This record gives sequence, C-alpha cells and structure tokens, in this order.
Amino acid sequence: MTLVLKKLLFPFISLLVFLAIWQVAAGRYTPEQFPAPTDVLKAIRELADSGVLWSHIGISMARFSTAYLLAVAVAIPLGLFLGSFNRCHAAIDPLIQVLRPISPIAWFPLAVLWFGIGNAPAIFIIFLAAFYPVLLTTISAVRAVPPVYLKVATNFGAGSRMTFLRVIVPAAFPGIMVGLHIAVGTAWIHLVAGEMLGAQSGLGFMIVDARNFLRTDQIMAGMLLVGLLGLIIYRGMKAVERIVGRAWGIAA
Amino acid sequence: MSGAGVAKIQFSGVEKSFTSARGDVQTAVSRLDLDIQAGEFVCLVGPSGCGKTTLINLMAGFEKPSAGSVFIDGRAVTAPDPDHIMIFQDYGLYPWRSVLGNVLFGLQARGVSPAEAKEKALAALELVGLLPAVDKHPHELSGGMKQRVSIARALAVEPSVLFMDEPFAALDAFTRLHLQDELLRIWKEKQPTVVFVTHDLDEAIALGQKIVLMAPNPGRVQRVLEVKLPYPRERTDGNFAVFRKELFEEFHLVHQQAHEASEYVI
Repeated sequence: MTLVLKKLLFPFISLLVFLAIWQVAAGRYTPEQFPAPTDVLKAIRELADSGVLWSHIGISMARFSTAYLLAVAVAIPLGLFLGSFNRCHAAIDPLIQVLRPISPIAWFPLAVLWFGIGNAPAIFIIFLAAFYPVLLTTISAVRAVPPVYLKVATNFGAGSRMTFLRVIVPAAFPGIMVGLHIAVGTAWIHLVAGEMLGAQSGLGFMIVDARNFLRTDQIMAGMLLVGLLGLIIYRGMKAVERIVGRAWGIAA
Repeated sequence: MSGAGVAKIQFSGVEKSFTSARGDVQTAVSRLDLDIQAGEFVCLVGPSGCGKTTLINLMAGFEKPSAGSVFIDGRAVTAPDPDHIMIFQDYGLYPWRSVLGNVLFGLQARGVSPAEAKEKALAALELVGLLPAVDKHPHELSGGMKQRVSIARALAVEPSVLFMDEPFAALDAFTRLHLQDELLRIWKEKQPTVVFVTHDLDEAIALGQKIVLMAPNPGRVQRVLEVKLPYPRERTDGNFAVFRKELFEEFHLVHQQAHEASEYVI
C-alpha cells in the first residue's frame, strides 16, 4: 500500500499540481506567448492526426540509435585498448582531454561542410555526444580492475587472451555500463540540437519549424515529447542495467 | 614428494629492496636462508614491516628478489605458477561468476575439459562444505564462505603448495577458529605444503609445524620455532601455553628492538 502510494500517487499529485499552476499561469498571457497545457495537448493531437508526428519521431529515433550504437561500437573497443596499455593511454590522453570539452554543437559548421545537410551531420553530433562518456568510463573501468583479479588470473596460468576476455572485460563491465547510461542522456540532448541546426526532419526540426510559424503550442508539444521519449529511453536503459547487474552478481 | 634431504622451498641469500618515491632504498628482506620441507605447514609471523608479505610474494613469484633466489622443487621461481596457488586475504573472487564458476576458473585456464572440470570443481567444493551454495554469487556469501570458495578454487587445480597471506584476518573470531580447523583437516587429507602468513600468534601455534618469527628493519628471520604438538591442538592445553609463552616473549623482544631502532631513526 505504501509502495503504491510512493510510486504512483505522489508523483501523480505533483504532476496535477504542476499542470494546474501551468494552466493558471498561462491564462495571464496570450496562447502565442505561453500556451496552456490544454493548448499543447491539442497541438499534439493535431500533429498526430496529420501523421507528421510519427514520421518525425521515427526519424529521430533512427538517428539517435544509429549514432549511439556507432559511438558505443567505436568507444568500447578503443577504451578497452587504451585502458589496457598504459603507454598508449599516456600518449593519447592529452589529445582526448583537449577534444572532449569542445561542445558537439561547436562541430556543427564543420559537420555541415563535410557531410552536407541531412542525416549525416545530426548523426555526427550525436555520435560525438555519446562517444566521450563511453570512452572515458571504459578507460577508467579497465584501469580500476582490482589488481587481485589479475594476480589470481596469472597465478592460475590464464593466458593474456583469457585474462582479457574473461577477467578484464567482465570486471570492467559495470563501469562501462555507467558510461553507456550517461551517454544515453547526453546523446538524446544533442539529438534535438543537431536536428535544430541542419536537418529537415525529426523532433528538433519540428520545433524549429513550429517557431518559424510562431506555433508556440507546437514548440511546447515538441519539447514535451522530447522529454517523454527521453524518459522512456532512460527507463529502458535502467531495465537493461538491472538485467546486467543480476547476471554480474551485483545486487541491484 | 621431493627426494630426501632436498627441501621443497629453499631460500638462498634472498634479498629484496624497494626504492621509495623519494629515492631511498629500503631493504624489505635481507640475506635470508630458509628451508621448507614438502608437505610441511609453516607459519610466518612478525610485526608489520618485517617483510612477511614480501617473502610470500617472492615465493609465489609475484615479486622478484633483488639478490639470491627462491627455489621450489629445485627450480628458481621467476613467475607465478599454477602448481603454487596464493590465497589472498580479500579472496580475489570474481563477482560475475557463481561459486562453481569461480572454482572452475583455474581448471578452464588449464584447458581441462568441461565435464572433468565440473567434476573436479564439485569435489573441491564438497571438501570445503560448500556444495549447497554452488549457484550463489560471491556477494551472497559471508566472508568465511568466500574464503572457502577461494580455498576450493585453489584445491581444484591440485597445487603442491598453498600460499596463504593472512587469509583469515578479516573474519570474526568464531569463523576464524572454525576455518583454522577446516584448513588443518584439508591439509591432512591433501598434504600440500602450506606457507601461512599471519600476525596472530595463537593462530600460528594452532596451525604450524614450524613457526618462522621475523623481525623488521631490515626484514629477517629472528627465530624458527618447531611446534611439536599433535593435531588437533587444544588451544587451552598446558603445552599450548608453553609455546605461546615462548613465542610471545620472543615477539616482545622483536617489538622492543624495532621500537628502539625506530627511535634512533627519528
């Protein structure tokens, strides 16, 4: 009973209060300046009925997953390599530290110059946003593998291949998972930014397009959907983490 | 078993020094000679800084001597060997593997066939009384059970030497006593050579046939004490108390010397 109260009722009440404040506050302005929740809901239904909403969401999700998976596929092996070899890490670390603080958005002019308009620059931006968190957490996860794990492996005569695949990789995995988690967040944030700057489709474009027609209700509808989809992706990630945690014998 | 008169583990003029971050050279173990016979249970005791952990790491091949050599079965130790397994105080279990999976690790590393590996692993787990827990993960086990798993993992590969670096130091007193008895039972059954590092003098007397008392600055052997008491040893027995008194007095002497030496340094 108390669990249901905590998990459902309390969030529901706070949501209602939030919507009520929003509705009252919006009443003091024109809908073009500050649309009410009801206006936003209407806009979502309008977009859904015309079918544009679904295609924008589909395109955004496709770009997001392509770029994210690409970043993971490059960053994890590179991170495992750099984490395992101290000299390579020492050589490359300064370069990473210089490139990392550059916002993916700052790459945009170059991305358009190199890849033109369309999917590629947006994917490039999301790729960069996901790449560094995964790379850096993978490197530190490998470097943080307890020395006793490696001592046990050498003591039992495990070869370097077995030590890498069956000790270092699984030992680093929970740490890598943290990076995958962070990267989902940063990648999703930059998806909208990437699509706002150069794409002709997707949720980011939908928001920019709505701005050009001063459809404030549609702008907010886009924002709300970005938030909701982000929540769903985050929840999915949590579920995967729980499954992994169980397999790794870490109490979730 | 090695031939008569030839020791299983032999130190000849072993010296180990470390260079600190400031560049000072510190001698952890100085010019040490020591023989350990096959099947013998030897305890290394001494105050902190006396080099007992360094000594066991030298034997296990995790560290290399600065001078001299450690010989096991007549061959100089250069690297860790699956025939000489080290058991650590913090277990070194792999949390993503089940109890059975952990015990299988050493056999897999050796390339034993899956069926045979499983048979050997289960036999080792039976020996430490953990058959009911084979599917559990390390985080579900108590400290005492974790150390049993790491002992089973070692026994599964049938090593001729077990190195134990303060294996029971993190356990509560009751579990420690229980595991000491278990270890003796396993040692009697399997007859490996055991080198056991501890800072607990009672533990050393309860377990060791031979106690090597070490002294610090630089690390060296102060005295080798033969404990000629039959197993199982009654800890409240009068003879136990005699050895206890002797060892404690010697230990106090070592402590005093170490203390005086450090006063000169400061």
